[in-house]
Amino acid sequence: MLTIDALSAGYSAVPVLKGVSIRVQAGQFVAIVGPNGAGKTTLFKSISGIVTPSAGSITFEGADLLALPPSRRPHLGIAHVPEGRQVFPSLSVMENLEMGAVTEAGRRDWRANIERIFEWLPVLAERRDQLAGTLSGGQQQMLAIGRGLASSPKLLMLDEPSMGLSPAIADFIFERLIDIRKQSGLTILLVEQRVAEALESADHGYVLEAGRVVLEGNNQSLRADDRVRQAYLGM
Amino acid sequence: MKLFTLKPSVPVLLFAAVFAAVSLSITNSYYQLMMTLVLVWAVFGLSWNLLSGYTGLISFGHAAFFGIGAYTTVLGQIYFDITPWLLIPMGALFGGLAGLLVGFPTFRLQGHYFALAMLAYPLAILYVFEWLGFQEVSLPIKRESPIAYMQFADGRVYTLLALVLLVGTALLTQYIERSRFGRALLAIKQNAAAAEAAGINTFAWKLRAITLSGAIASGIGAFYAIVLLVVTPQSVFGMLVSAQALTVAMFGGIGTVWGPIIGAVILIPLAEVLQAGLGSRLPGIQGVIFGLAIIAVVLIAPEGLFWKIRDVVRKRRPHAPVVVEAAETAGPVGAAAPAFERTPATGEVILEVRGLSRSFSGLNAVQEVSFQLQRNAILGIIGPNGAGKTTLFNLLNGFLRPDAGTVWLDGRDMTGRKPHELCEAGIGRTFQVMRPFLRMSVADNVIVGAFVRAKTDQEARQHAAAAIERVGLAAIADRLAAELTTKELRLMELARALASQPKVLLLDETLAGLGSQEAEEVVGVIRRLAAEGVTIAIIEHTMQTMVKLVDRFLVLDHGAVLVEGLPESVTRDPRVIEAYLGKKWAGHADH
Amino acid sequence: MGRRRDARLGLKQGNAVTALVEGIFQALVAGLLIGAIYGIMCVGLGLIFGVMRVINFAQGDFMMLGMYAAFYCFTAFGVGAVFGTTWGPFVSILAAGPILALVGYVVHRLLISRVSGTRTASLEGEGHHAQLVLTLGIALVLQNGGLMAFGSVLASIRTPLSSSAWELGPFLDMSVFVNKARGIDALMAVAIMAGLALLISRSRLGKQLRAAADNSVAATYMGIDVDRAHRIAFALGTGITAIAGGLLATNYPFHPFVGVDYVIVMYAGVVLGGMGSIVGAFWGGMTIGLVQQMSTLILPTQLQNAAIFVVFLLIVFFRPQGFFGRNVERT
Repeated sequence: MLTIDALSAGYSAVPVLKGVSIRVQAGQFVAIVGPNGAGKTTLFKSISGIVTPSAGSITFEGADLLALPPSRRPHLGIAHVPEGRQVFPSLSVMENLEMGAVTEAGRRDWRANIERIFEWLPVLAERRDQLAGTLSGGQQQMLAIGRGLASSPKLLMLDEPSMGLSPAIADFIFERLIDIRKQSGLTILLVEQRVAEALESADHGYVLEAGRVVLEGNNQSLRADDRVRQAYLGM
Repeated sequence: MKLFTLKPSVPVLLFAAVFAAVSLSITNSYYQLMMTLVLVWAVFGLSWNLLSGYTGLISFGHAAFFGIGAYTTVLGQIYFDITPWLLIPMGALFGGLAGLLVGFPTFRLQGHYFALAMLAYPLAILYVFEWLGFQEVSLPIKRESPIAYMQFADGRVYTLLALVLLVGTALLTQYIERSRFGRALLAIKQNAAAAEAAGINTFAWKLRAITLSGAIASGIGAFYAIVLLVVTPQSVFGMLVSAQALTVAMFGGIGTVWGPIIGAVILIPLAEVLQAGLGSRLPGIQGVIFGLAIIAVVLIAPEGLFWKIRDVVRKRRPHAPVVVEAAETAGPVGAAAPAFERTPATGEVILEVRGLSRSFSGLNAVQEVSFQLQRNAILGIIGPNGAGKTTLFNLLNGFLRPDAGTVWLDGRDMTGRKPHELCEAGIGRTFQVMRPFLRMSVADNVIVGAFVRAKTDQEARQHAAAAIERVGLAAIADRLAAELTTKELRLMELARALASQPKVLLLDETLAGLGSQEAEEVVGVIRRLAAEGVTIAIIEHTMQTMVKLVDRFLVLDHGAVLVEGLPESVTRDPRVIEAYLGKKWAGHADH
Repeated sequence: MGRRRDARLGLKQGNAVTALVEGIFQALVAGLLIGAIYGIMCVGLGLIFGVMRVINFAQGDFMMLGMYAAFYCFTAFGVGAVFGTTWGPFVSILAAGPILALVGYVVHRLLISRVSGTRTASLEGEGHHAQLVLTLGIALVLQNGGLMAFGSVLASIRTPLSSSAWELGPFLDMSVFVNKARGIDALMAVAIMAGLALLISRSRLGKQLRAAADNSVAATYMGIDVDRAHRIAFALGTGITAIAGGLLATNYPFHPFVGVDYVIVMYAGVVLGGMGSIVGAFWGGMTIGLVQQMSTLILPTQLQNAAIFVVFLLIVFFRPQGFFGRNVERT
């Protein structure tokens, strides 16, 4: 579904990604893990077009993403739930969800989507008229996910959904994600620092370090890998 | 500045000589006036450049200073019969005072608000002068004593006087550029917060810059009134006047002495000739030219002609061999480090934090944090993203004022002090996001941090060199920051913080973005610094590195201290596992 | 004897008090009327700033173009002939809106978009300077180009209504006069504001503009074309300010440099309203109108503008977040 090939990108003089290749197949749950500053968020921004890569290619269902302006990419079916949530603070919860449904598919499936989103994340229904800026961190994260789902995506990209949340709330959000995936069969690309959780739920994983993929494999093999156990699982 | 390897004053004097020769050969009084005006606007542009070009705070209101000078000469001569020879320095004095008065409140503003406020000053003064009835004021003609009243029949004298002013301003600018004054301004432009953390009193330097800038602008405004003999509020306080300063400087190139000169030499004759030729039919042609020049520059060469040309020239020249050579020597940075034996912490408390709290609109970012840092120790600060780690650093180095609690450094209460004061007292820090001066060498980047302890520029250079040596970058000290790798940039940041000779060093994710090998090398440098007697607090996520590096851990969660203690106990603490390491850590550890 | 004198004195004092109160009410009404026009003038600038975070220094000069557009619609393009001298001006003024919106659209496409929006999302500080300086250049070109095109002779769009008035009252021996043209101006201004407020709060486009204003990067993630949103905001803001200019021109003569006289009204209103808040900008403009008209009671007219400057500087220093803005918490 998504193929990233030899991607390099960075800001001014400092390169952040150095030839990263990643593959996501339809229906797969892929996790990208690695320390702060490894380039995970830059990778996502390159997919969404906020960062322009200096080399490499990104294709989504056969289409060359880099040839498309950033604002067209979501219309292909890519939903990006950004790091730090980034909800629209002065819009109500409902209006935030409507913004998610700017895409053609989102508009078409609006009624069905909103029903399912409220079912999965009932807190959003309770607070539908509240300004998003006044929600708690966990609620904002759920809104950001709901907003992404409202676009009827084929691929859901999640950038550190646990960031700044207490473990209990982060766990809750992970559980919701797994439910959502089970019920919808959505393809998910996840970036996470909570390596153990991420690797547990994902089918396939990549370890990114200093802008390079240093390790990749399926769930089992990664968790069994000595380097991962030492560096990230603390064993 | 490598374009001129000679003494930098030589090209300025050369330019002045050529300009003088050309203007002496001109007999037509109109063209002579134009020559004078080129210099007047070049000086005015230089005054703008001194503030806006070096600090990056764009002033849209330099006409305020220009007009004050112009009216000082006119009114001083009419009402008090003072000679212009005295009035020009007096105008400069008033301009300097005005700069101080404007700067004091206005520097509290940032970005848009600064620009808007600066725009407002000259326009407000303009209305007041119109109301006072100074619509059009002429200098009284003093044929009997032309020299005493600067009323020369020969226009060339004005040009030469203006040339003296220009050379003086240009040399002053060049001197400032090289001194700690200039470095401070550049540091502010790049990253005001980091400059403040490096011990630079940004407010004081900005005030000095606007005072000097105002004085120069006002002095040249005073001279302008003498040349033109007539002053109207619109012609000296108007928006076009402010725009002219900005245009010549931006067109020619900001942040260099050559920018305003190049801009004035090209734009002023162009506008004047068009005005003379077409002005009667197209009365606004001058303004249109300046407007178009601004638009063109912003779109095509946002930093101005000088830099554009310089970049082209640099590209043409083959790369200096130094770079290749240095690349090979960059390896052994941390090679010797891992073997270091560190003297254990002495038990003497150097930094003590009691009950520190800070909230942002109801959210408690840091609450009731207390801990002690012992001399020579390495403290690791960990916790989930958003736990308040960086906020804690910001409170410790003065970026933020705590709502409650105290910070004691070496037994002195330093609570609520400004960042530069804390830097002076011995707190150095690095940042998660690096903002190096890419066009400057490693040595020049590091020297910014050295001024706080150094009395002279010479001493500062020595401190900087010592700091570069300590992090192991001595071999590449002359390389431009733009050519460094991430690891070298991190080490350079470290050197900049070290150059202030801190007692306590706060490191914010210094290892972020490094590969494990590179991280090992940087860790080696950190260990060595600790062995040399620097006390260190470090924020870092990579646990396996931290466990080996630190003496104690401080675990933050939701802004509060969860646990504080030795690595062995902290990593086994169920609360830490729950909040930060994750349940899975414990689960796997049991296997 | 003594009593009669007291009574006469009392009567005189009564007259003086009545005149003073009358004067205050007259200034109040004048302030509200002009305030409504200032209100939408500020809204134009506020809309552009709110969505794009760009301070448009040329806003006053776009307003000047709006005045001339209305002027030529009325005198040269036959609007006056069709709708008559009484209503023709108002139709022309409304027409100036779309004309200037188009100008704004083109200016954004050709110039502003090159230093704003997604292109400069990663530039931070330097990008802002480029925008400020660029609009300053545009302002200079428009002012001086206007001088070339229109000359420096004062122009105006007067209607017979400009010199007639409704009398309100008398209440308690006092009456207040409302200039008919200004009354209609104010009504039109309020109607436009209401329409815009509805557009921004209810329509899909309005919500997208607000989303782009809140977080342009996240808006891009949603598939909103932020550059297009900016272009629309710029066009809308320019058009609305142009209409405000036309409305002013029914009572005040204008010239190519008239924009400079009003920029400060706009900045003051927008800052007062809390930069970024559109409804706030309207109330900010309204407040400036009231302050200006009330100040005529105590200040010479030439100092009115200086007074606004001082008010503006005071706001900037002491309450830069404004008075009317909705303070949404930063997260």
